Amino acid sequence: MKRRTLLGGTIAVAAFGLVSSVEAQQPPIKIGMSMPQTGGLAGGGKPSLLGIEIWRDDVNAKGGILGRKVELVVYDDKSSAAETPAIYSKLIDVDKVDLLFAPYATVPTAPIMPMVKQRGLLLIGNFSFQVNSKVGHDMWFNNAPWGPPDSWAASFLDIGQKAGGKTMALLAADQEFAQNLAKTAREVATKRGMQVVFDQSYPPNTVEFSSIIRSLKAAKPDIVYVASYPPDSAGILRAVNEIGIGDNVKLFGGGMVGLQFGSVMENMGSLLNGVVNYNSWLPEKSMYFDGTKDFFDKYTKRAVEAKVDPLGYYLAPFGYASGQLVEQAIKAVGSLDQKAIAKYLRENTHKTIVGPIAFSADGERKETAVLQAQFRGVADKNMEQFRSSGKQVILFPENLKSGDLVTPFEAARK
Amino acid sequence: MKRKGILFWIGAAVFLAATFLMTQVVGNQYPFFAGYVILQFIVLAVAWSILGGYAGYVNFGTSAFFGVGVYTAVFLAKAFGAPLLVQIATAAAIGALMGFALGLLTLRMQGIFFSIATIALTIIIETVITNWRFVGGAAGIQIERPPTTPPFDNYVQMLFFVQALLVVLAVAISRYIQNSWIGRGLQALRDDELAAECTGVPTLRLKLMACVISGALMCAAGAPAAMYLQFANPASAFDLNYSVSALAMSLIGGTAHWSGPIIGAILLSATQQLLTVTISSEVNVLLLGVMLVLFVVGAPEGIIGLVRKIFHSRNEGKE
Repeated sequence: MKRRTLLGGTIAVAAFGLVSSVEAQQPPIKIGMSMPQTGGLAGGGKPSLLGIEIWRDDVNAKGGILGRKVELVVYDDKSSAAETPAIYSKLIDVDKVDLLFAPYATVPTAPIMPMVKQRGLLLIGNFSFQVNSKVGHDMWFNNAPWGPPDSWAASFLDIGQKAGGKTMALLAADQEFAQNLAKTAREVATKRGMQVVFDQSYPPNTVEFSSIIRSLKAAKPDIVYVASYPPDSAGILRAVNEIGIGDNVKLFGGGMVGLQFGSVMENMGSLLNGVVNYNSWLPEKSMYFDGTKDFFDKYTKRAVEAKVDPLGYYLAPFGYASGQLVEQAIKAVGSLDQKAIAKYLRENTHKTIVGPIAFSADGERKETAVLQAQFRGVADKNMEQFRSSGKQVILFPENLKSGDLVTPFEAARK
Repeated sequence: MKRKGILFWIGAAVFLAATFLMTQVVGNQYPFFAGYVILQFIVLAVAWSILGGYAGYVNFGTSAFFGVGVYTAVFLAKAFGAPLLVQIATAAAIGALMGFALGLLTLRMQGIFFSIATIALTIIIETVITNWRFVGGAAGIQIERPPTTPPFDNYVQMLFFVQALLVVLAVAISRYIQNSWIGRGLQALRDDELAAECTGVPTLRLKLMACVISGALMCAAGAPAAMYLQFANPASAFDLNYSVSALAMSLIGGTAHWSGPIIGAILLSATQQLLTVTISSEVNVLLLGVMLVLFVVGAPEGIIGLVRKIFHSRNEGKE
């Protein structure tokens, strides 16, 4: 009996000690978000989240921000727009998080934009496209390198025009992101007096592209701008490989989603050669900033355990950068006052592992940092080759350039 | 029978009063966001059950009707700035027309063929909306909410109450159908359509009626979703998940009684909401799947059927 009392007492004291030591510490800074962890966008959501988690662990290892640890509150939105309003309401009203990050991609983000605007909350965007253009929220900051809406198409067409291109063909999936890209491409082409000789949208889930590629080839364009999603990107490149695209084509690619992910690149292998496509980060010398290498060392290890994209170039470093943005802002402001943080983010240039970031009034990047890169010398069935430089040569932007365009496309394919 | 009717209406009035009181008292927004989704699924499940449960015609087109409801609201809001009630009423009218057309075209098919035709309907309508630029096309569209009308000081609270009204309307209709000649006729044709036709039950007319009512309710349930999300895109509005959920909720609750789909919808969608903010991973999806399998194996007539069975065996034990 006595022993038991003693034991009980010890436990009570230990428990009390534990509680009081927790109390002595300040409560953690809670950052809330939803992230697509199931459904169509999960392939992007998971590496993005891993990037944010690596930032959290780094920050906490350094003692946190303002002496407070960082805690993430994350829910799965199943890649659906219908789920996010309830989730963000839970984050704001029940979990009472201190800061909000947006989910990966445009569709799940769109419904929460009016909500955060109405409540005057800061939101760090995660690779959504022009989601604030109609809402006009002044406390929105997108981590994506997009920049002004037309810069994406403009940089691609620039490269084509420099190579002597005068006409353009446009092939786009009938889905949200691809249609946004196609729209800006049309506008830029009209502005420059470039003739659009072929303009076709195809329904999502199309698998057989040979008839479309045949008619595209017949139009004899100089530049082919493709805005596609992962399954169709593969189908289009296979059809091009079988049928050919004609000798006039100087530049092919632009907005093909999927060619940024390790598993897709591994599967497509040599089909990728010659394609010039957008990207956000690549292992070229010009892309390493303070902390970039450290980050990828950690990511490569943890990606194996987490079973996510082993390369993780496209989204993960930007998730880390989102964390760096708020970390710098909170430290500079000295509090969690969202208005002050937003003001700081808007007025300064921020150092991140994906390079310096500065925002324009609409919360997008001041200047585009979307890379246009050409696949070169890619072999079949080899993931590791993409870790070395030279497999994707950066053609744009100027300050990050790592090589020149090989043209025409048919020659570059070999 | 009459006393039961009075009890039902008292229950409905208490429910509406409670939801209204909630909008006036509760300051936290989350219950309204989550509650709205649950109420929306109650309407969908009850509406599905009118054709799927009473008549036994398994309809996979719930998402088609829901999506048309969403886009009717989007169109009216964008073109005319129409208020919410007009959006819902128009959506219901269009849903009724659509139900009528679908019924005429497909109700001569039976069993699996009817189900396949309803899936086709979803795909066709989604493709049309995807190519209609005025309502955003494939890229989707962001919609601005009009200012809130008193006595509600928040738009989501208003939507919550409006959806509660729709629940009462849907349940009242479903209950009326079950207890009237329509329900008895539908039940007869579910058991044996040929025999019912031979004994003078106007089967096609009854089926059409069920289709029209069910379609109108589904579209009406979809209309407020446009303002709830303030965003619409074809992939989300025509998500096949709505079809599967409405069907699963009705089956789990039981289709033999009007209260079955309500029980199923509350159980399933509340679990779904809860799992989203607790487990939040693939396990979430798995749990729902396991639940479905368990019910199909263990209680093929749903919760209502299970309860009845237990009562029956107890009564038999007493005798």
